[in-house]
Amino acid sequence: MKQKEFIATVLPFKDKLYRLAKRILVSGDEAEDAVQEVYLKLWKGRNKISNYKNPEAFAVTMTKNYCLDRLKSKQASNLKIVHSNYKTSENVEKKIEANDGVQLVFKIMETLPEQQRIILQLRDVEQFEFSEIAKMLDSNETAVRVNLSRARKAVREQLIKTHNYGIS
Amino acid sequence: MELAKIEKLLDAYFEGNTSLAEEATLRAYFAQDTVAPHLAMYQPMFAGLTAAKQETSAKEVKLPQQKQLHKKWWYGIAASVVVAIGVAGFVFSEPKLTQEEQEALIAFQKTKEAMQLMSKNFNQGAEELTHISTFTLTKNKILK
Repeated sequence: MKQKEFIATVLPFKDKLYRLAKRILVSGDEAEDAVQEVYLKLWKGRNKISNYKNPEAFAVTMTKNYCLDRLKSKQASNLKIVHSNYKTSENVEKKIEANDGVQLVFKIMETLPEQQRIILQLRDVEQFEFSEIAKMLDSNETAVRVNLSRARKAVREQLIKTHNYGIS
Repeated sequence: MELAKIEKLLDAYFEGNTSLAEEATLRAYFAQDTVAPHLAMYQPMFAGLTAAKQETSAKEVKLPQQKQLHKKWWYGIAASVVVAIGVAGFVFSEPKLTQEEQEALIAFQKTKEAMQLMSKNFNQGAEELTHISTFTLTKNKILK
């Protein structure tokens, strides 16, 4: 596979991979690095990539696995993930600064278990079908629905809490 | 959109039982400015999830250049050519002699010629001697 062809195949979903990586790793810089790594891996296996029916789903799975590995090795070495990208991610902030509640939702999402975070990201942000998500996560649709429901309810609970605090 | 339908969709949403189209309906509803007061708390949730999709990666992905492989191949060829030239030059170049060595070489050549001449004459003399041995042989036959 030539470089031009490769880029045309895999680059369209770069931002999706980035957002997923950021959802898992939280830090924007780490997410950029993860995306770079994933693309290098895809590039090395480029002759196989066309064999996969859905390169996007394949890349999402790869990103997810890579980020979870990163997270694990960090926790193992007792390194705290330092992130200061609330200020730097301007493109989001500009669009949503009118709504403080949005930042709150981001923070709530960070507190969710990884699996729920990933599923919420893939479904409610990237809007993948349940069948696609199940394939990406090597799971089944029922499990995906259950985890998604838990994630959505967890976000709702946190929202209700802060909502009530705000009133009282 | 009637409120009852939204409430129903919202319930299904939290159970994980909505389709992508239904979720789009919910997002559209909560994107409005006016939302039923008892549902207003869900607004940031849908706004947040929608906003999360706006985020893009600013960094370019770097891929290794494919040409590198050809370059390495060329390095190999170039190196072996250089080595071949070096070896050939060493083998085929004539050793340069100093003035003194050349003179010595000429002297050696001349000495060799002189010696050969001498040995040739000497051998001629030796050939004459064979006649003497023949003479001796005949003498022995007679004087037995």
